[in-house]
Amino acid sequence: MSTPDWAELAELALKSIAASGAEYGDIRILHSSSQTIIGEDRRIASIRDVEDRGFGVRALYHGAWGFAASSILSPEDVPRVADLAVEIAKGSASLAIEKVRLAEEPIHRDRFVTRARIDPFTIPLEKKADLLLSTMETLHRQGGIARSGASLWARRDRKLFASTEGSRLEFDLLASQGDCTATALHHGRFASRCFNTPHLRVGYELIEEADMLREAPRVAAEAIEKVNAPPVDPGSYDLVLDPEHLSLTIHESCGHPSELDRALGYEANYAGTSFLTPEKRGTFRYGSPHVNLVADNREPETLAATGYDDDGVACQKWDIIRDGIFVGYCTNREVGPKIGETRSRGSNRADSWGSVPIVRIANVGLEPGSAKLDQLVADVKRGVYIEGHGSYSIDQRRYNFQFGGDAFWLIENGKRTHMLRDVIYHGITPEFWSSCDGVADLSSRRRYGFITCGKGQPGQSGWMTHAASPARFRNVQVIRGEGRT
Amino acid sequence: MTVAGAKPWPKMTSREEFRFLADLVLARSSGDDTMVTFHDHHSGTTRFANNQVIQNVDARCGTLAVTVAFAGQHGTATTTDVSAGSIQETLVRAERIARVSPEDPEYLPPPEPRVFAVRQTARPETVGAGPMRRLEYVNEAIGQCRMENLMAAGIISSSVSSVGIAAGNGLFGYEARADARFSLTVQAGDATGWSAAAHRSVDHLKIQERTLAAIIKAKRGRDLSELPPGRYPVILEPAAVAGLWTWLLWSLDAKSYEKGTSPFAHKLGKQIVDERLTLQNSPDHADLLGVGFTHEGMPSESSVWIDHGVLKQLSYDRFTAKTHGVKAIPTVEAPVLSAESPPAGTIQDLIKRTERAILVTNFWYIRPVNPSDLTLTGMTRDGTFLVEKGEIVSAVKNFRFHESPLQAFRRIDAWTVPMEAVTSETSKMLVPAVVLPQFNFSSVTRF
Repeated sequence: MSTPDWAELAELALKSIAASGAEYGDIRILHSSSQTIIGEDRRIASIRDVEDRGFGVRALYHGAWGFAASSILSPEDVPRVADLAVEIAKGSASLAIEKVRLAEEPIHRDRFVTRARIDPFTIPLEKKADLLLSTMETLHRQGGIARSGASLWARRDRKLFASTEGSRLEFDLLASQGDCTATALHHGRFASRCFNTPHLRVGYELIEEADMLREAPRVAAEAIEKVNAPPVDPGSYDLVLDPEHLSLTIHESCGHPSELDRALGYEANYAGTSFLTPEKRGTFRYGSPHVNLVADNREPETLAATGYDDDGVACQKWDIIRDGIFVGYCTNREVGPKIGETRSRGSNRADSWGSVPIVRIANVGLEPGSAKLDQLVADVKRGVYIEGHGSYSIDQRRYNFQFGGDAFWLIENGKRTHMLRDVIYHGITPEFWSSCDGVADLSSRRRYGFITCGKGQPGQSGWMTHAASPARFRNVQVIRGEGRT
Repeated sequence: MTVAGAKPWPKMTSREEFRFLADLVLARSSGDDTMVTFHDHHSGTTRFANNQVIQNVDARCGTLAVTVAFAGQHGTATTTDVSAGSIQETLVRAERIARVSPEDPEYLPPPEPRVFAVRQTARPETVGAGPMRRLEYVNEAIGQCRMENLMAAGIISSSVSSVGIAAGNGLFGYEARADARFSLTVQAGDATGWSAAAHRSVDHLKIQERTLAAIIKAKRGRDLSELPPGRYPVILEPAAVAGLWTWLLWSLDAKSYEKGTSPFAHKLGKQIVDERLTLQNSPDHADLLGVGFTHEGMPSESSVWIDHGVLKQLSYDRFTAKTHGVKAIPTVEAPVLSAESPPAGTIQDLIKRTERAILVTNFWYIRPVNPSDLTLTGMTRDGTFLVEKGEIVSAVKNFRFHESPLQAFRRIDAWTVPMEAVTSETSKMLVPAVVLPQFNFSSVTRF
């Protein structure tokens, strides 16, 4: 990391902000390197290396924000952009009613580095391309596979955060992911089956350990089985949801409603608000007593575990739902004090140097229970076991949701029998989580993450991990995912 | 974009400057083919909620991408550092990737040089807009809402871009582009109303008129009733139509069609929607955001995609087009959906002639449920009303829908002229408001 140069540039920005009379300011200088290799239908369709470098400056002037950013990282441009951030903040202040007051945070001087065994950027491209081509060939060995896909992705973020309060934080963060997909055709109908490694802050060891080549025959066979499977009969079913599937359910129905900026109306025009309004904190029954959803931005390897957020606040662990009761929000230094909290939860993140940090979902995960997965299934007379991600949609206050999945198995009399297709379930968030009557134990806990969580205007992509053990939900309404249901 | 007291940004990259940058790459490349794309983007957004500014941002970013190919082996490297040294390093990275890439059987050299259409893509009033202009507009929207004791949340944004494309075979394109956007959600307690606009001209956002429209919807939403889920006749306002048709447009991929993994499989040349509906690409239309060329160096041209209900055109990548001996038309950049002989001039006219229907302002979080038949789901948002005997009688709780546009638009009962439509999840289109005889609402939410 070119920190000596960056440190000097950061001081130039902070000096300009301090001289302006602004009460607070910070600068993030970020250099992101990413590599994406995309395989499609037995060919490498694209290999793309991205070097993305720039800086963003925030200024808080008379209780109002200004932000300016540039990819021109020079001693001339940095103070100019800092001045612009202050001028923009002055404009915002002219319309301010309630002035921004930042929660206190200790001054931090630290360096945070992702621990990785194998740097993905040191793996020869030929080896990566060979892996994807071999994986796609293996998928096509199964008769009936019409299309295939496979990809690898890695990103390194080198970042410096410096604030007028004195915090100086350096980051060297890494993340990796890989996946493959098989699409089967049958009588004009088609269906896909996917294998995804989670997105995690680890190195290429994630890809080696996932062993896509080993998984490919199963993925292809299940794509064939899925496209030939009978459609689900609509009705009421017990659902047993696997951790990858639950990561999306948790994300949409618990993660987003627990963002305090949404609850306060900041996202009313785009991502929406939240039914978890502040007066419900501490009393509202969100789910059954089995449901404990915990935000943990300290768990190693997870996407939001970056040491500090983009407010310079140290990562923390706290309860969102405890014994089924809603108790906590994801916050930043701006919105936390609006509900009487004295410290931010450290969930303020921007997706690039050119974006202003906003409240993002933390690593919200479902705490393990005490049952074994087999026990959860054994106690189901008529149900569906769902793996992976499919269709998803939820209303703008996060009540009414609808989810599909990547693969579905009918459960009859305590046993997983055959695959189904076109399974869609829907419900109302607190009713759904109140129907949870069992969560599997730690032995089946898995972690899955997102790097494309859309929020904010201009739109930003948030990163977070949702860990879970499989969980069981009783009497959920299932419909068939095809037209005119 | 300038603010009083702040030094201005360096000027946007000119045609000559882009040519200089491109020549730096093309002259040094060892590849059989080399392509350079450049995007110098300067944007500002003023975001407000609870009747005050919550974000006010301004960002400038230049991105240069170099694609190099040795026969069928290709690779791409990009940088945001457009200094000479970094550009050279980016070229070297692209060459290194290309040398070790497996041969791509679908690789094609850059498109042949051609003269791209010159369009009014950068209006001076938008290029000159900045934080102060945005604040004026914000003040106007918030002011109107405050007077009605309502809460406003939304954005005003403006952006300017210099976009260039060049290749070793002489292909060259450069275009300055600018656009401005406005969207507003008005909150009247639990009820919301919404309006949005996007235009090449910042002067065409119609802040006052659109704010008033959102206010009216929010106030009407206070009188709320609940209807059971089921199939209802609907009046879809243009934003709702655009939300559904965007997914239809995204599914027109020719490669999926040829491989059998498209909802349109075997339907090219056949009727897929009501025979009175026609979909065209109209990049020259003054109210759309048409461009001269795509990021692949292909021209954006007027074309008919659905002609009187019949599917006429798919979205062809160059390889699939070559394989099938057809002209490559990549995307619908500037869609116009129209129906012949509109019986109604306005949405109000549609309401007046309707016996009973659900009026939908907008859809939200539309996602595919079944790609085989293009079944989609999503929620109604920011203004859902029951219309009876030609009048809005009450707001109704929001519905989830479960419907394929290919089914829903098989028959349209009434329609208007095409109107401007933009949503938070779609680009800009011109589409009519329509009355559909049946639309499947599968569940109801709590508000």
